[in-house]
Amino acid sequence: MIQHEAEQPKSRNIDQEVLEHLDALYGYAMSLVRNPTEAEDLVQEACLRALKSARRYPPTGDLKAWLFTILRNLWINHQKRRHRGPEFISLSAQSDEQDPLLDGMTDHRLRPDRLLDRSVLQANIRAAIESLPAIFREIILLRYVEGFSYNQIAGILGCPAGTVMSRLNRARAALRQRLLVIDRGP
Amino acid sequence: MASDHVIDHITLYLDDELQEEERAAFEAHVHQCPECWARLEEERELVMAIRQAASPHRAPQYLRARIEAMLRRSSLTDGVRRVRLWMPLAAAVVMLMSAMVWLAVRSGLHPAQPSAFARLAVNTHQRYTRGQLPLEITSHSPQEISRWFAGKLPFNLKLPDYPESPGQSKPYEVVGARLIGFQQDYAAYVAYRLRQRPISLLVTSETVARPTGGEEIAWRGLRFHFDAIDGWKVLTWSDNGLTYALVSDFEERGQASCIVCHPGAEDRPMLEGLNRR
Repeated sequence: MIQHEAEQPKSRNIDQEVLEHLDALYGYAMSLVRNPTEAEDLVQEACLRALKSARRYPPTGDLKAWLFTILRNLWINHQKRRHRGPEFISLSAQSDEQDPLLDGMTDHRLRPDRLLDRSVLQANIRAAIESLPAIFREIILLRYVEGFSYNQIAGILGCPAGTVMSRLNRARAALRQRLLVIDRGP
Repeated sequence: MASDHVIDHITLYLDDELQEEERAAFEAHVHQCPECWARLEEERELVMAIRQAASPHRAPQYLRARIEAMLRRSSLTDGVRRVRLWMPLAAAVVMLMSAMVWLAVRSGLHPAQPSAFARLAVNTHQRYTRGQLPLEITSHSPQEISRWFAGKLPFNLKLPDYPESPGQSKPYEVVGARLIGFQQDYAAYVAYRLRQRPISLLVTSETVARPTGGEEIAWRGLRFHFDAIDGWKVLTWSDNGLTYALVSDFEERGQASCIVCHPGAEDRPMLEGLNRR
């Protein structure tokens, strides 16, 4: 009779994983606060809270998304303590049902082929992203830089996946508008 | 599949959020619809441009080193310590610091490097004075701040309330507080103001940080470590299981100023002792 050794679950090296995600965490913090000192504080505090929490209740899921969630909650708390809320954008002009992608297509000047002409420098795109409200900057970073899925982003932001999709659409539409402004020049 | 329906799905397709059947239907449509194909390519280009442009940040090396150090210190201090009235007057200690600066300069000593805790205290003070460090609680009430700290620290912190004489206002006031990450735990940060000048107090467990470096001065059974860092004066000491760091930009002052904050008869021997130094 062949005896199978029970497969032992690999112990998770949380510390190592935290270090592996440090650059990503810092990038996320920068996208939220745009201030290196504040971003450093946010990252350090997020790591500290994560470690303390992990020792009591070791996380079992996606550690990176979990770290991002902790960092975002800290940021929101900091914003509240500053007596001003996170940066919000007006949704009155368009509901989640409207697709700003389609709206943009009706204006030929906003067509991506114009905006993405080879002459558009990457620096312009970076500048356009930087000029977006935090709520758009962060979702662009979460999706296109960090590669989180809609469900993961929904978990980090604490909202339904449908909201992620509509917010991402609005973020791209806003980005196009900013690119158009840059494209037109001063 | 109608063309507008396909446009709705472009984002989902590029973000790999379509179910297998939806994906197949989408691909079948765009392969026979030049308009949708063109829009898909345009959108793909935009996404690629965003990805290429949004180069990821790199955490500064010193931040990484700080986090690594925090991770190495895995043992947490779980003991709960009761703080006695450790701060019967922050302002008076600041005065003491001023005297120590004078002593250090006069004696021509070359103090040892300041401790990491002293450097953190100065760094925290600098950020606070620049408006880069928001307080988590803003209050002039030491009791309220003490309640806010309850349960957040591995030790109990009870801020003393300076006894006001009738008709006399406080020479200093507490402004607010917050938590500061240090090693693998939190330190308590308390912001004070003495005649509109900021004073920062940082408190942690003695097992996490011990005062070292700087000019060491024994006084009333305690050993104070004085440092001048980037123009700021910082005094660190341990007492009753906790380590303190007090930061200010106070200049040298006379004894009379100390008496303003130490009006009680019990403080006079201490002030006289300081004067003899």
